[in-house]
Amino acid sequence: MLTEKELERYDRQIRIFGIEGQKKLKKSKVAVVGVGGLGSPVAYYLAAAGVNLLLIDEQLPELSNLNRQILHWEDDLGKNPKPISAKWKLEHFNSDIKIDTFAGRLTRENIREVLKDIDVIVDCLDNFETRYLLDEFAHEKGIPLVHGAVESFYGQVTTIIPGKTKSLREIFPIPPKKKENFPILGATAGVIGTIQAAEVIKLLTGKGEVLANKLLIVDLMHNSFEVVDLEG
Amino acid sequence: MRIKVRYFARFRELTGTGEEKIELPEGSKVRDLIEKIKELHPKFKDEIFGEDYDDNADVNISRNGRYASFEEELEDGDIVALFPPTSGG
Repeated sequence: MLTEKELERYDRQIRIFGIEGQKKLKKSKVAVVGVGGLGSPVAYYLAAAGVNLLLIDEQLPELSNLNRQILHWEDDLGKNPKPISAKWKLEHFNSDIKIDTFAGRLTRENIREVLKDIDVIVDCLDNFETRYLLDEFAHEKGIPLVHGAVESFYGQVTTIIPGKTKSLREIFPIPPKKKENFPILGATAGVIGTIQAAEVIKLLTGKGEVLANKLLIVDLMHNSFEVVDLEG
Repeated sequence: MRIKVRYFARFRELTGTGEEKIELPEGSKVRDLIEKIKELHPKFKDEIFGEDYDDNADVNISRNGRYASFEEELEDGDIVALFPPTSGG
């Protein structure tokens, strides 16, 4: 059941997917893995939509993060791990939702315990080693995984649905080389993260088409949005 | 045969173009097209492939809107897109 306050708060989106859709969001729990450039807009917009969250990251916010990681502020630098820094703000933003945190690194040993009772996983990571781990876990449990990645003015999004789409490892069999201090603009992470958040809402409400077996390639430098078919 | 090649993201900067047409002999594969692109664009070759051919090069390819492998055979009029996978978050 939705409260009177919730009916008013979510009125504009209930006009899209109905009270039933909003109830589905209220019942759901989404893991945001990586609370940085992508994780900030993903967590922010999912919180706005009324989705319960599990925030995962092991790092503390640093000054050079702030051009893109908009859930972390100057007051947070070097203090609390990113999930804690983000939780405080999101709880003040939307007190209806429940926000859990895990301030540590996901490993083969802890992933089953950390990601239990999750409906959708959002990949906001900065490396393919942990992405492959999420991919394997998503397939083991049959949970959708929304992949996003960014660099400079560019980014990509695809939604992995176990049993229906290719796995992340099939799409990217060779991990792109991890770059320390890769160039990135906050607005790029904002665009890609926001698209990821929309993918999650579509998955949870069952409305619309997700990027299943489709890779969206965004080039903001040259204003292009290209969808590549991954089937076949 | 003539292939239309489209470059995305960083590849567009390395080749200095968003799109071009490339002539190839009949029966050419995606791999042959890549070789031709390396000849035409030394900056692309140096940055992405280094000194020698590198199977681990960070290049994703689509042919006529579908994901393609290096071994796929090309046909006249194909549209091939090259894009670098991104990995940051």
